[in-house]
This record gives sequence, structure tokens and C-alpha cells, in this order.
Amino acid sequence: MGIFDQQNLDTFVQQLVNGLTLGSLYALIAVGYTVVYGILQLINFAHGEIFMIGAFGALSTSLVLFRGQTALWVLPFMIIGAIIASVGTAVLMERFAYRPLRHAPRLAPLITAIGISVFLQELVRLNYNHVPFTSWNPFNLPDAKSRIPFPQIDVVTGPAFQIGGVTIQRSAIFTIGALLMCAALLWYFINRTKTGRGMQAVSQDADTARLMGINVDRIIVVAFAHGAVLAGIAGVAQGLQNNNIDFRMGFLAGLKAFTAAVLGGIGNIQGAVVGGLVLGVAEGMATQYIPGQFGGSPWKDVWAFVLLILVLVFRPQGLLGAKAVDRA
Amino acid sequence: MTVTAEAVGAKAPTGVPLLQAEGVIMRFGGLTAVNNVTMSVSEGEIVGLIGPNGAGKTTFFNCLTGMYKPTEGHVRLSGVELPPKPRAVVKAGMARTFQNIRLFANMTALENVMVGRYCRTSSGAFTSIVHGPKFRREEAETRERAQELLDFVGLGTSTDHLARNMPYGNQRRLEIARALATDPKLILLDEPTAGMNPLETRQASDLIFKIRDSGLAVVVIEHDMRFIFNLCDRVLCLVRGETLVEGTPDEVQSDPRVIEAYIGTGTDDDDEAGDTP
Amino acid sequence: MIRIPNIPESVVVKHGPKAWPLGLAGAGLLIIGSLLSWSFDPQVLGDLSISFNPGALQIMAIAQSVLAIILLLADKGPLTSFGEWADTALALRALATWALLFMALVLVAITVEAGGLVNIEPGGWISFLGAVLVFASSRLVLPRETRDLGHARLPDWSEILVIVILMAAILFGTAFALGLTDAWEFVLFLMVVTGVLITGVRAGLLTWLGHVTTRHKRVLMLAAFAVAFLFPFTQNGSDANMSIASQVLIFAAAAMGLNIVVGLAGLLDLGYIAFLGAGAYVGATMSTSAFATIGWKPPFIVVMLVGGCVSATLGLIIGAPTLRVSGDYLAIVTLGFGEIFRLTMFNLDGNNGPNLTHGPNGVPAIPDLTFGSFNFGDTHTLLGIPLARFSNYYFLLLLLIAFIILVFSRLNNSRIGRGWVAIREDEKAAEAMGVNVFGLKILAFVVGAFLAGLAGTIKAHQDVSVTPDQYIFLESAFLLAAIVLGGMGTVAGVLIGAVILKLLPEKLRFFADYRLLLFGLLLVLMMRFRPEGLVASRRRQLEFHEEDEELAVRVEGDIAEVVI
Repeated sequence: MGIFDQQNLDTFVQQLVNGLTLGSLYALIAVGYTVVYGILQLINFAHGEIFMIGAFGALSTSLVLFRGQTALWVLPFMIIGAIIASVGTAVLMERFAYRPLRHAPRLAPLITAIGISVFLQELVRLNYNHVPFTSWNPFNLPDAKSRIPFPQIDVVTGPAFQIGGVTIQRSAIFTIGALLMCAALLWYFINRTKTGRGMQAVSQDADTARLMGINVDRIIVVAFAHGAVLAGIAGVAQGLQNNNIDFRMGFLAGLKAFTAAVLGGIGNIQGAVVGGLVLGVAEGMATQYIPGQFGGSPWKDVWAFVLLILVLVFRPQGLLGAKAVDRA
Repeated sequence: MTVTAEAVGAKAPTGVPLLQAEGVIMRFGGLTAVNNVTMSVSEGEIVGLIGPNGAGKTTFFNCLTGMYKPTEGHVRLSGVELPPKPRAVVKAGMARTFQNIRLFANMTALENVMVGRYCRTSSGAFTSIVHGPKFRREEAETRERAQELLDFVGLGTSTDHLARNMPYGNQRRLEIARALATDPKLILLDEPTAGMNPLETRQASDLIFKIRDSGLAVVVIEHDMRFIFNLCDRVLCLVRGETLVEGTPDEVQSDPRVIEAYIGTGTDDDDEAGDTP
Repeated sequence: MIRIPNIPESVVVKHGPKAWPLGLAGAGLLIIGSLLSWSFDPQVLGDLSISFNPGALQIMAIAQSVLAIILLLADKGPLTSFGEWADTALALRALATWALLFMALVLVAITVEAGGLVNIEPGGWISFLGAVLVFASSRLVLPRETRDLGHARLPDWSEILVIVILMAAILFGTAFALGLTDAWEFVLFLMVVTGVLITGVRAGLLTWLGHVTTRHKRVLMLAAFAVAFLFPFTQNGSDANMSIASQVLIFAAAAMGLNIVVGLAGLLDLGYIAFLGAGAYVGATMSTSAFATIGWKPPFIVVMLVGGCVSATLGLIIGAPTLRVSGDYLAIVTLGFGEIFRLTMFNLDGNNGPNLTHGPNGVPAIPDLTFGSFNFGDTHTLLGIPLARFSNYYFLLLLLIAFIILVFSRLNNSRIGRGWVAIREDEKAAEAMGVNVFGLKILAFVVGAFLAGLAGTIKAHQDVSVTPDQYIFLESAFLLAAIVLGGMGTVAGVLIGAVILKLLPEKLRFFADYRLLLFGLLLVLMMRFRPEGLVASRRRQLEFHEEDEELAVRVEGDIAEVVI
């Protein structure tokens, strides 16, 4: 049996497709880490929860406004709902938790991030299906303590495409498409608009930018919002792909996306996209090709963490080079 | 260059080279911050390092003390090659102070100096936990020596003051005491009088003489010309990372190239007069 | 003269003289009311319905009014010599505010629990009126210049007596609080304690206590341990509270180990629970449980050492990246290691790798420890008081905590501790002064891990079973929270943090559900308003307030005192 026989090739291509899909998801989230880092030199570890909140925002939109609807036109509304939820959370988070800590020692924002993370998870877990401290549930939302089925949308979900021996999910196409579009829009925004150039200026030197009349606080909020938009879209993509969502989904996804951001060179937006794709493909291949007892899906998260550690230890500046190196 | 080198040989007090830096080159990417600098310091000598801003003086210090790994060149202390590791350099007997004071701000004066004793003590975790005899002895010695050094630099009454609460001049002294606590043979002072008034400057030079008299060699980076020419046995002038002149204070002071380098860079950045012939 | 906020000066000047009689009258009313019945319903809040037989809450009210009277008499009257030192006016204000809140909440509680305002008897209203009067009087009392309590010194024997009384109060207070089964009563008691503490702070007494305790450190330590040792004897053989207490001790032991890494060396370890887990798994797999996978069954003391060493080895591995990584990245690396540990324990079930841990099912049915003929599962009677299973573990854990505190404080006050401070302050400068930065960081990881490993081996036996889901990331975050809340780098702080985080959810059922939510919020708020924690290490406080010059001057004396 040669290495290049049809079956092996199909398996390889299949894993490549799976990896790229997963990678697109990581990339969408990773951009959020990188944009904020580029401006504030802050690693917003609560970003994974923004992604989770986005998914719940989309779910709520669908359940409250279009319950039972599966037509394609619902999808844009769901995306808008996701974006509103995630951007709202991110902006509040920046304003009330991070902004007061701008000049605090590095430990402070990190611990704050853990606090926010736990807080948001618990808020969703305990209070998604009722108004806090009451049992009032006006929209008959499901209990978020366990997994919740995500609404299925015509065209975007449904039977997979079969090309040769390779299966391509419709939601995978949505995810990859979303990444391409977001990347293009983001590139346009950062390089072609006034605010985008302001962001570049602040990331170069915040104090000078301030002297030049740039409203640094506003730019920082914009950066958080940007990351949140992409994370919200990623939340929708994840829901469509897995058919269900839960309040814990942000933790692991956030960590992997962070790995992707570091892999691509934190602070570097193209890097985050490349890093996400590389990580996704690596994960797909590892699941398939690590042999023996320590391979396969039970160990796949272990390998992801091993990769995370190796990247942080041996290549903290990433594949494409980071904006800042000193993480002391 | 040859002329000045001979002058050095004639003037070296004891003739035993303590520190020898040969052909030190430090490049950052395309920029050569230190280019082929050679310096030797003998026991009991005070050597000054001068040069306009950006001449590479502090970078050279960092190369000597192992904070940077020189791209090329050797640094030897008492004939032994120094590895580019700050800790090893301190252990070998060369300590430094920093241009922008880097004290442990939230420690008291005494504690700061006690940290300097770290490399000369070796109590491990176990003896520290059981308060073994070695711990007791070293702890008492450390404390005593630290207090002595505070007295030596004139901070005997500020023992329990937090470093961050101390006046600027005293912080400089404290940094010197901390460096002295490592029992160095040679101490490198990076602009010890920056920001000081004339009285403090004079006290600083008294202190440096006192350190020299206690048997140490001293290398000083300074901008204050009067201070450096009064103080030093020998002066090295760096310009754009290269040695322009080396010699006695009188020689350097009267060298037209030095004057030109200072005035030249003051008025025209592109002036090439600083290059060695 | 210091201006009083809220009340116009003219009012204060005009009515100031009335403050003193008004306050005494109020306090008197509060006492009289508390001796009468508060509630018609004998079923609620203990029993507050019988006149001249005060219930727990009524005794608390009386205690507060007695305190108010003392403060008033210190302001003007026979105790003025005490008033010279303590800031009685500010103290009275704090006390009166909390007493009023207390009475108001009591009335709310009766209304809610018994169903309606009608259930409040006149005694309740009289006490409330008394609290209002005391409050009004406290607003009219003028603050005075006082002497610095930091300079106040009593004879040694009386200072030691103060410590002993304080410790006794803590012992009986804790026993009392744990005995309260009603959540309202528990909350109200906490309110009183908080109120009294704040009163103490305002009066300057806590500062003075701080000086006293530093002067008599050994006495304090001994007294604290005596109190902790005596605690099981207050429980009359009930094991319910001892179960909570021993959980608190395990948690505190682990948190203290983590405090070496976070508080002393300044490194954030988000995977620390793995060390406790490693110890627990060693304890479990080497126990005589039928599910244990390791054949070697040495005495427990050896198992403990093995657990400590395995854990320390993991610490070495997890600490190794500190050579290249620091700050946020290091935190993530440790988080990764922690997750790898958990997933590995989850996977080593025989199907995915060797069978070491029985995967998600873990190792159940771990028997109780036995030392010779002493079985930890049995109830033993000492001094006529039965001490059941959890009391036995409690004593063992107390010994462990004592050992951990010894390691923590001795390392802190040594050359190694100074090295850690130097690294926290300025790593580059520390390196340039000859401090072995990498070695010291590794040492922190190894020592911290070793201590957690020891605690883990005991935990395995105490919990009876060990499963991977006991060692999730959230548990690490929880340990970190104990430190953040209590105070980085202090022993007392971590103990307080551990008690708060473990005890409150057990006593308050409302809290249990919202435990994590509140905990997340707590982390955020602490970082925002008091990053150095409740019981702050002076130095940590300074580090978190780099720009506060006034603070630096104020605490200068304390830092020197601690070091010597």
C-alpha cells in the first residue's frame, strides 16, 4: 500500500478540510486577542467568554423573535444579535473592569480576566432562562445548565457535500467564508479608515497619539468591539457546526484561539489568521496521525495544550513575529 | 591610538590588568552600537568613560556585565574569561550601578544592600527553614556587613527607610552600597552624579575616592567633565561606539578631537570628525 | 476641627451637647427593647418571643449597645483616659451605623420569615428606636485629635492577656457562628462582627492590635494554634462542622503553598490544583483501596513523602519554562500544564494508555488512615468529649498547616525571601546583583508543589475517593481567589480568604448556588478596589500602589518592624 493511494489521500484531504474549518473558527476568535494586545499590551483572557456570549446572543435572537423559523433570512438577524450581545459585553467589560487597571501591575488585569470569565459563565448558566432573582421567564428560554440545541438554518446546515471521498459540511463553508469576509473588512477598516489609522497610531505609541489629538480611550473601546464582532460571528459559526452550545464553550476555544494568536505573533492581525489556520490543521492532523494509545480524540486536547506550551516557551514571538517581545 | 596606549602602560599604578575588554563589538540588527572597543583597568585605578549621548557607553557597560552578549570580543576579569551572564559576572567580582536608578523600591535601605550579599552567601531552603547554624551565621554576617556598607556610603542612619522614600542623592549612594555588598574587585558606575547639585557631586567624588582607597578599581561613565577629569587616573572617550581617545585626563582634555566630537555632535549630527584616524 | 460630612456645622454646634445624653438614652432603649420580646412567632430566628430571656440576636444587640455606652463614656465621663488614645467619635459612628443596619435587617427578617409586619412585638420597635437614637447621637459627636495609638504600650502581661482574650473570642465566635443553622442569624452575626471590626479600625484599635501582635509574635502563634486545637472540643462530638473545618484546612494548606509561588515569588500559577491532585492520586493509588493500582503499600508517612516528591517533580517541570517565559505567558503555560494533568488522569483508564487512575471514575473506596491502632475513621473520646472522623483529620491537617506556615514564614524571612522580593521588584536588577533568578523561581514552584502534594495525600483519604473532576481549572482559580481576597504574601490573609471562600457557601444556601458568580465578581472588585487583599502584606500593598507616596511614608516603619 503506497502512501499516496486514494484512501489515504482522501483521509488527508478530509483532515485538512476539518482543520481549516476549525482553524477559521480559531482565527476569528484569535483576532480579538491580537487587536486588543496590539493596542493595550493586555491579554484579554476573558475573550473566550465573549465568543460564548455571542453564540447565546444569536440563540436568543432566534428563540425570541423567530422561534421555529429556519429560513436563510433569519441568519443575518442572528448574526446581528450575536454581535450586539458580544460587543455590548466587551465594551462593558473594558469600561468597568479593565479601564481602571490601566496602570496596575500585570497581575491585576489577569486576575480580573479570570474573574470576568467565571462571572460571565455563571451568569449565563444561572440566569439565561430567567430574570435574575426571580423565576420569570417571559420568552420561555431553555435552561443553560446543560447543552442547548442551536437553531438550524436552511441552506447553511443540512446534508453535507460529498466531493470524492471527502465530506464538506455546509456550516464549514459558512465558517471559512465568514473568516475570509471578516478578514477583508478588517483589513479595509484598519488601513483605509480614519479610526483604523488611529488604531495603528495608538498601537505604535499611545502617549504620542494622545498628544496628536487621538482619543485613546475611544480607540481602545473600538479595538475591544472589533474583537467582539468577530468573536460573535465565530459564536454563530460554532453553533451551526456543532448543533448545540453551552456556557463552557468559551474556555477551551478561547485558550486555543489565544494559542493561535501567539503562534501568529501576538499583535499581528494577519498572524492571528495564519496562526488560527495552522493550529486548526495541526489539531486535525494530530487527531488522525498520532498513532497508538496516546492518539485519537481523547488525547487531542492534551496535544493542543502541549502545542500551546511549546509555542509560548519556544516561539513566544510567533511564526510571523510579534509587535512587542518583552512579556515581563 | 598607539601613543595613548603607551601612556596608559606608563601610568598604570600597579601594572596588573584587572579587567581586560578586547575588541568588544555589539550589533543590534544593522546598528553597531559598540565597535571594537578595547579597555583595560588595573587594580586601584579609576577609569572614566566619556562620550556624547548615544556613544555606546551604557551599551558597553552592559556588554561588560553580561546584560548583553557581545557580538564579538572578549571580557576577562583577573585573566579569566567572563561568561555573558550577569550573575556569573557579579560572582567573579564585578558589580555595577544603573544610569536610571534601579533600586528595589519597596525594600528598605538595609534590605537592598542585603540583597547584594546574595551571591556571597549560600544558605539553602533547608537551613533557612530549620534555622540551622549556617543560616544564623550568614544572616547575622549579612546584616552586619550591610550596615557597615550603609555607614561607609554615609547612609548609616537611613537603615530602615524605604528606598522609594529616600532623596535622589541617597538613592544613588544606596545603589553603590548595594553593588559594594557583592564584594567586587571592580565597580562600574553609570552616571553616578546625574541630576546632582555641586555639593552632592563633590560628596560623590569623595565617595569614589574612598572606594578606590579601599582597594577597588572603578570605572565611571559621566557627562560632567570637571567631575571626571578631577576623579580619574585615565579617561576613555567613546564616539559612535568607537574609541576616539584614551589617555590621562590632561591628554584627553586637550585633545582637539574630543572637543570637536562634543561640539560637533552638538551642532551637526552628520559631522564625521569623530572618526579615529 | 474636622468637619462632619452630611450634617451642617450649625446643627452640630447647636445640638452637639445633646449628643451624649441622646446616645446613652438610645443605648439604654436598645438594651431594654432587647430584653423584651421582638417577635410573636417563636419559630423564627431562634426564639425571640420570650421577654427577659434574650435570644442570640437580642444578645448581639445588647452587646452592641454596651459597646456604644463604653464609647460614649470614653468620649465624656469616667473612661476619658481611654478616649485620649482612641478615636471614639469615628468609632461610634461606625458602630451606630452598623447597629442600625442590624436592627433594620432584624425587623425585615422577622417580617419575611413570620409573614408580615404584625409579627413584630413592641420590644423590636423599642430596640429599633434605640438604634436610631444612637445613630443620631453619633452624627452629632465631634471628632477630636487623638494621640497615636501606635505609640500606646501596656505592660507586657496585659498585652498578652489582650491576645489571649482576642483568641478566645475568635474560638467562641467561630463555634457560635458554625452552630447557627439559620441563614438569617448567620448573616446578622456576620454583620455584627463586621460592624465591630470596622468600629475597631475607626477607633484605631486594630492598628494598635497589629503592633501588639508583632511585639508578641510567638504568643500570638501559640495562642492561635491553641484556639485551632481546641476548636473540635467545642463541637460536642458533632462531625458536621468538623467536616467543613477540615475542608477549609485542606483548602487553606493548598492556598498557602500557592501563596509561596504567587505571593512571595510573584509568579502566577493557574494550574496549581494539579499539585494537590498529584498528591491525592499518589495517596489513592498507594492506598489499600481495592481500586488502587500500585502494589506497593508503605506506611502513610512514606506515601506522604512520595506524594510530595511526585508533586515537587511536577513543580520542577512546570517551573522550568520560567527560564524563558514570564508574566501572562507563564500563567497560561501553568494553566496548560494543569489541564494536561487533569486530562491525563481522565484518560489513563486502560483504554487510552495504561490503567493508572480508572479514568473518569477515579479511585473510590479509599480506607481511612490508621497510625498503629489509631484509626481515623473511629470516634475517640478525649476529656469526655467525643471526637469523630473529621476531627481526627482536622488534627492531622492542623499539624500540616503548622508545618506549611513554618516553611512559608521562614523562607520569607531569609535570604531566599529577600531574593524573591528583589525579583518581584526588578528582575533585571536582581539578576545584575547576583540573585539566582531562575533558581529562586523554580524553588518557589518546587516548594509550593511539595506542600500541596503532602496535603493531597491526606485529602485522598479524607474525601474517600479521588476523581479527575475535582481538579479542574476553576479549583485553581478558587485557590488564587483565596489569596487575592485574603492578602498576597501573608499567612493570616490566606487563612481568612480560605475560611471565607469555603465556609460561606456551606452556611448560606443562597450563596451555594451563586457561589461562583459572586466569586468571579469578587475577583474583579478586589483587583479594582483592594488588590493587595484584606490582610495586606505591607510590601505587596506598596507594589500595588506605586504612585501612592503618602502610603509609602506611612508604612515605612511597619516594613522594618516585620523584617527584624
